[in-house]
Amino acid sequence: MKRNPLILFFIAAVIAAMLFAGTRSVRKNRAAGSPSGQLIGQIAPDFELPSLDGTNLKLSDLRGKAVLLNFWATYCGPCKIEMPWFVELQKQYGPQGFQIVGVAMDDASTEEIAKFVKEMGVNYPILLGKESVGESYGGVGVLPTTFFLDRDGRLMAREFGLQSRSVFVDHIKKAMSQGKAVQAKK
Amino acid sequence: MKTVLSSLLILLCGLAWSQDDKQGPQGPTVKMAPAPVITVMQGKATTVPLAFRVASGYHINSNKPKSEFLIPTVLKVEATTDIVIGKTIYPDGQDMSFAFSPDEKLNVYSGDFEINVLVRPLQSVQSGKYVIRGSLKYQACDKSACYPPKQLPLSFEVKISKAPRARGQNPAQSPHAH
Repeated sequence: MKRNPLILFFIAAVIAAMLFAGTRSVRKNRAAGSPSGQLIGQIAPDFELPSLDGTNLKLSDLRGKAVLLNFWATYCGPCKIEMPWFVELQKQYGPQGFQIVGVAMDDASTEEIAKFVKEMGVNYPILLGKESVGESYGGVGVLPTTFFLDRDGRLMAREFGLQSRSVFVDHIKKAMSQGKAVQAKK
Repeated sequence: MKTVLSSLLILLCGLAWSQDDKQGPQGPTVKMAPAPVITVMQGKATTVPLAFRVASGYHINSNKPKSEFLIPTVLKVEATTDIVIGKTIYPDGQDMSFAFSPDEKLNVYSGDFEINVLVRPLQSVQSGKYVIRGSLKYQACDKSACYPPKQLPLSFEVKISKAPRARGQNPAQSPHAH
């Protein structure tokens, strides 16, 4: 059977284009900080985790508030940079119905995490994370990983790694302006 | 022929582009170079050098990081019945500051580094090749993110040779000593 070189050329071009487009799509999603296709626009997977103060916190109990869900660890230098920003942002936007929740994905003991949190002057709840919770969010293989939930508990965006403060502010403002509670007021 | 070559070239370009993005944080950050087989004499302590490479763009904490919250790089070697595993000698890390924390210096390994392990076969060990297994625990970061701690399984071989027989004579009484 004689192969048509043009067909071969066409097939190679199509495969190359598909690889290129796929890679671009992955990069675009990362740059935009959007959750994976399965999570975007969906209600955030619910969980209940113990917090450092001894109480349990259930994510769905925060409905009505915009939420910044930050997965971090004590060994993570970039996470340490964000924390003072989060403290300020909690103070600034907390009264408007905004809540930051930190989830420590750590091998360190509770006492070590508590010591770290105290040193950083954290003013928002820190939960002791579990692998299963990370997996329900598509796996938290990069720290920090931060999710933004609107007032209905819907996932709006995700950011990997250290971002500039302005990126967080933009997402927070957007998250606070969305949800049924906001629509009802309007 | 030209068309076939052009097609292959286009395909390779596409593959190269897609591969570029896969070298992300999920891939192995630290690799060990194949360790040369070191010959060790029965009953004698010998240093085995193990060479590691941290992928470009990443760093891992040294064995003595500067903060109690950082996870040190630690080599664990499984104990064997015939070979005593002695001291592990870590290299000094480099003091480096990163964009995410310009005022703070971290003590890290990046690029190539070597860890030395002291092994001493018992006098009674039979000569031959022995495989020693272990793992390297490390925690990597790049300029804007960190990754959970990982264990790199590793193994190296030592060839144990017989110790020369003791003559039972005082060297001073050697016929060559004058």
